[in-house]
Amino acid sequence: MNLSYLLKTTVAAIVLSATAAHADVKFGALYPFSGQLALLGEESARGLEIAVDEINAAGGIQGEKVVLVRGDAVDNNQAIGEARRLISLEQVAAIFGTYSSARSIAASQVAELSDIPYFELGAVADEVTGRGLKYLFRTNPYAADMGKMIVDMVADKIAPGIGKKPEELKIGIIYEDSSYGTSVSTHQANYAKEKGLNVVVSSGYPAATVDMSSLVLELKQAGVDVVLQTSYQNDSVLFLQQANEAGYKPAAVIGGGGGYSMQPTADAVGHDVIDGVLDVDFTQYLVNTKATPGLEAFIEAYKAKYGSAPRSGHSLNNYVGAKAILKAIGKTEGFEPDTIVEAVKVMDIPDGATAAGYGIKFGENNQNERAAMMGMQWQGGKLVTVYPDAAATAPMQFAD
Amino acid sequence: MDTFLQVLASGLMLGALFAIVSIGLTLIFGIVKVVNFAHGEFLMIGMYLVYLITAKLGLHPLVTVVAVAPLLFLVGVATQRLIIQPLMSARDDHIQIFATVGLSTALINLALLIFGADIANTPPGGLRMPIQIGPARVLLGQVIILLASAALVIGLQLFLQRTQTGRAIRAVAQNRAAAQLMGINVNRIYMLAFGIGAACVGFAAAMVAPLYPTSPTIGTYFVLTAFVVVVLGGLGSIGGAFAGAMIIGLIDSFAGFYIGSDLREVAVFGVFLLILILKPSGLFSERLNLSHVSP
Amino acid sequence: MTDTTLDNTIPAPRTSSFPLKKAAALGALLLALLAAPIAIGDQFVAHIFITIFIFAGLSTAWNIVGGYAGQLSLGHAIFYGIGAYAGVMLMNIGISPWLGMFAGAAVSVVVAVAISYPCFRLRGPFFSLATIAFLEVFRVLALHFRELTGGATGLMIPLKFGWEWMVFRDRTPALLIAFGMLVLALAVAWWIRSHRLGFYLVATRERQSAAQAAGVNTVKVRLIAVSASAALTAFIGTFHAMYLTFIEPAAMFSLTMSIQIAMFALIGGLGTVVGPLVGALFLVPLSELARGWLGAQALGLHGFVYGVVLVLVVLFMPNGVIGILGRYFGSAVPERGTQSASVTAAPRAAERPPIGNDILVAEHLDKHFAGLHVTNDVSFSLKEGEVLGLIGPNGAGKTTVFNMLSGFLKPDSGSVRVRAEDGSWRAPLTPGDFAAIGVGRTFQVVQPFAAMTVEENIMVGAFHRHSDVNDAREAARETAFRMGLAPWLHAEAKGLTIGGLKRLEVARVMAMKPRILLLDEVMAGINQTDVRRAIDLMLFIRDSGVSIIAIEHVMQAVMSLSDRVVVLNSGQIIAEGKPQNVVRDPQVIEAYLGKEFTHAQA
Repeated sequence: MNLSYLLKTTVAAIVLSATAAHADVKFGALYPFSGQLALLGEESARGLEIAVDEINAAGGIQGEKVVLVRGDAVDNNQAIGEARRLISLEQVAAIFGTYSSARSIAASQVAELSDIPYFELGAVADEVTGRGLKYLFRTNPYAADMGKMIVDMVADKIAPGIGKKPEELKIGIIYEDSSYGTSVSTHQANYAKEKGLNVVVSSGYPAATVDMSSLVLELKQAGVDVVLQTSYQNDSVLFLQQANEAGYKPAAVIGGGGGYSMQPTADAVGHDVIDGVLDVDFTQYLVNTKATPGLEAFIEAYKAKYGSAPRSGHSLNNYVGAKAILKAIGKTEGFEPDTIVEAVKVMDIPDGATAAGYGIKFGENNQNERAAMMGMQWQGGKLVTVYPDAAATAPMQFAD
Repeated sequence: MDTFLQVLASGLMLGALFAIVSIGLTLIFGIVKVVNFAHGEFLMIGMYLVYLITAKLGLHPLVTVVAVAPLLFLVGVATQRLIIQPLMSARDDHIQIFATVGLSTALINLALLIFGADIANTPPGGLRMPIQIGPARVLLGQVIILLASAALVIGLQLFLQRTQTGRAIRAVAQNRAAAQLMGINVNRIYMLAFGIGAACVGFAAAMVAPLYPTSPTIGTYFVLTAFVVVVLGGLGSIGGAFAGAMIIGLIDSFAGFYIGSDLREVAVFGVFLLILILKPSGLFSERLNLSHVSP
Repeated sequence: MTDTTLDNTIPAPRTSSFPLKKAAALGALLLALLAAPIAIGDQFVAHIFITIFIFAGLSTAWNIVGGYAGQLSLGHAIFYGIGAYAGVMLMNIGISPWLGMFAGAAVSVVVAVAISYPCFRLRGPFFSLATIAFLEVFRVLALHFRELTGGATGLMIPLKFGWEWMVFRDRTPALLIAFGMLVLALAVAWWIRSHRLGFYLVATRERQSAAQAAGVNTVKVRLIAVSASAALTAFIGTFHAMYLTFIEPAAMFSLTMSIQIAMFALIGGLGTVVGPLVGALFLVPLSELARGWLGAQALGLHGFVYGVVLVLVVLFMPNGVIGILGRYFGSAVPERGTQSASVTAAPRAAERPPIGNDILVAEHLDKHFAGLHVTNDVSFSLKEGEVLGLIGPNGAGKTTVFNMLSGFLKPDSGSVRVRAEDGSWRAPLTPGDFAAIGVGRTFQVVQPFAAMTVEENIMVGAFHRHSDVNDAREAARETAFRMGLAPWLHAEAKGLTIGGLKRLEVARVMAMKPRILLLDEVMAGINQTDVRRAIDLMLFIRDSGVSIIAIEHVMQAVMSLSDRVVVLNSGQIIAEGKPQNVVRDPQVIEAYLGKEFTHAQA
């Protein structure tokens, strides 16, 4: 088998198919579609696909049909390769992505070098927008928003709810030690300090663990009232179970996304055990729809296209971001990189006008400064939105 | 003091968990002399089987052992017969490592294909009930794991010492060529040993599944620790593996509490490397010295 | 002499183990690999080729340790990660990665030596497990020390462009650098393989003790190999970090990547110069395509197929792609001759040199194994030019004595002293010391370097006197001719009969030009004709001025060869003297000859 021959024929085939669809405008959809991150990568991409379907149903943008080209960002090297393929072979006008922060950081560097706009719809690490890139925009809330909202919730809601002053509470921060947990927990610690809260434990652990009993013991020993955990699924389940079994009952547990937002986690831990546990994450589905116009339509479209209810809030956030961006591009003329950048820079969508609740306006570093997460609580085996009040479907409950 | 005792109890329970997972590995490693990187995936298969049987038939998870252990035995025999045995005569043993790495990758992804990336929950069947022992608190299921692993150690020892087959297995482990000359069917013994090793993991799965969420990658959490335990205990030494597991459980637990949860792996692997370098025959084995040069 | 015809069958000398034709083919392949992406001129194609070059380079570097030296490291990402972090950290304080890569390589070499030295005692899978453990420790530490490494969130490089920063908008310079790294790795790998170091590494891999007996410092050569490999890996790590522009511990210190690097070499052909390149060339595009075709089908399907393919490749192509290619192009087919029938009789020297003074003295050698007293106060000496027979029943401790006389075992008490060429007395300790002072030995159980040809086997011994490959080859040929091995020079050692292997064993040690030769049962298990020939051979060796101690059961040989005999029983010397006198000693007859004598006469 001759490699260059193979590649040449591949190139030829793709060039041919590209010419056939000349009237379309192509965008890249760069997500991890295989490997460990595939499940939520795919879920994220579905939101983007639904947004494109809606845009095309309404006549496309600038009169042209939007075509998505998938790229599989299974690891960092692959993310770079696929970004290159999308840019040079597929000649996409811009790239949407990426769910994983590390892939996003790697791939967006490539896009920046090629002067191609890169729209991040789901990755949460600070570094995605913290690099001063010109062509990178992020619509979704990120680690700082998450950390801030969690601390706000502790100070504004939980402390009064359990009848203590915020500074009397002992806070314990635990986090899985990869990029996700580390960056969220750093913000938690910083905002907690700003707010004058008392953090007594701050401890990382590897997500690939089978035992968290020593960590539970550490929290118990320190008399921690409020536990903030940033975690994936396995470690969320382990912590909640082992805390329960060790007889450790803090006044509140607040999870940061990941495992805490997923139904299988609640099923694994037991609905009675997880009852009352709080969670801050992307907007989910049990939310006051007055604050999230278009949410029901999205769920309907999702069910129609994929035959099941959305598996997590990732699809919703990708949908909201992608739809707004595509609409903004539709209002301008041409798909030149700088035209697109100009178009999205002037976007100004107020809070409460999207299906995720938050508005969109790009501020410093091209981060959407209106992006916000929501506070949720497990009540009766379901994850209901409890914070902020405008989006809440139920009041926050406290243990006696 | 109470805290110390609780950390101690947690460490012992963790040790029991490592022991029950590692005993099968020490058999395979010690007798067939193959580094089986797919060992963790055997556990994963066992846990999914336990999950399926309990979820579909509503049986108590501990009862599933009568089906899961024999099924895993077959998995082990098949692995030995189809993958390891053809490579036994290969010039270097490197190749077997890659075969088991390939098997491990294939099995993880097969589970992903069948069950998806989400966790599967085996009903605990009362095994998650906490028990108060003095100041320490442990789970009923953990105590059962401790007792079961001790029973497994004793049972296997008796089997290896007292039965004809057991003696043949030991003979093959000590000197393959000599055993062959004595008329022992070495390939059959290897299949048997691999099967028994895998069946031990099936036995373990029935007790581990109710306590830990099952996912396609659950095996990777265990496999490196299991190798640490086996080397620490001394190659092929079942009692050594049990003791090694307890030591690793305690190190893990104490390091987690007193040093920091993110560095417990460093503590465990650090001890492992020290043992490998200073006493490669393991702490509890006198008869096999891995660094021995035979001129 | 009827054997003179055989002289003409010595194959034409090959000046290098890597002939010109192959070099030209490799060069053409490399040029094509570089030309293809430049000609296609597409960024994505360039990326694929850069990926191939990077993995082929990493795998080639790994192969120096994993293939040549047989140390299956599964922790090579340590060096890759160190290179990457050194490059990025230094670039962030304004130092060019061209300098950073050397810093990374230097740190890698130090780390490689520090972790390999204690681990070389570990055999097979234990070495692999130890390297995995080191890798995990490095990864966790990189996560933990956030101030230095940026922790889990990783480090980014400032986007400064140009050659001095190794970062480019255009892909061609990156392609050229990746290609350059690959060529460098291949050149180093080729150089090592075709020089003394490579022979020593392969010999160490095949039979560590035989290599030591041939004077190879097995620890030193492997440390050199590990250092070269680590430095090359770090170079590529630095470049790849610049190419990725973003590094994090999970991706840099990754076990999956370490396994992948090793796998490319395995699938291409372990221990061959071009194997890793072939493996990467084969697998990188394959996995890209498979991902494209299967990745979207179902979660896990791609990984499942990948795993199954890996198992099948291991099962059905254990020698890799190169092995299969080799089979089709018919290289390295062992030549099978009638080995026992066509042995050259060694020409006799005219005169035997006189027996001189002591050249080796063993004093009060004591050795215990787990409570068993294997040798008890054994003292004797060997005179220059003498043949000393060491006999005794099985289990008498003869081989143990030999192991102490050659440094493979340390006596619990007692000493071995050897007179050096300058007349001074030395007390060598290690096998290396003994080899250096001119003590050569054979092994009772033959220890050929199975993967090497007969010529290469003998060359390992010849390298003791010649550092140049061509000189060593010449000396090896000469020795092979004298030992009657000339017709099988290019046959693989494992194809020889037992008689041939015994001769090879002697030839290898003779090529070292020893002054003292320890022969351990070189005549056991060979037929009567060969025994006679072997006796002639030993006489010839003796006449060329070499002093010999021979353990022998074949009484015919003992009686006709030995000037003196030492009889060992249950670890003690029970008799010593002329062979004719010793066999009449009642103690000896009682202890030993009772059963063995009749056996030997039969």
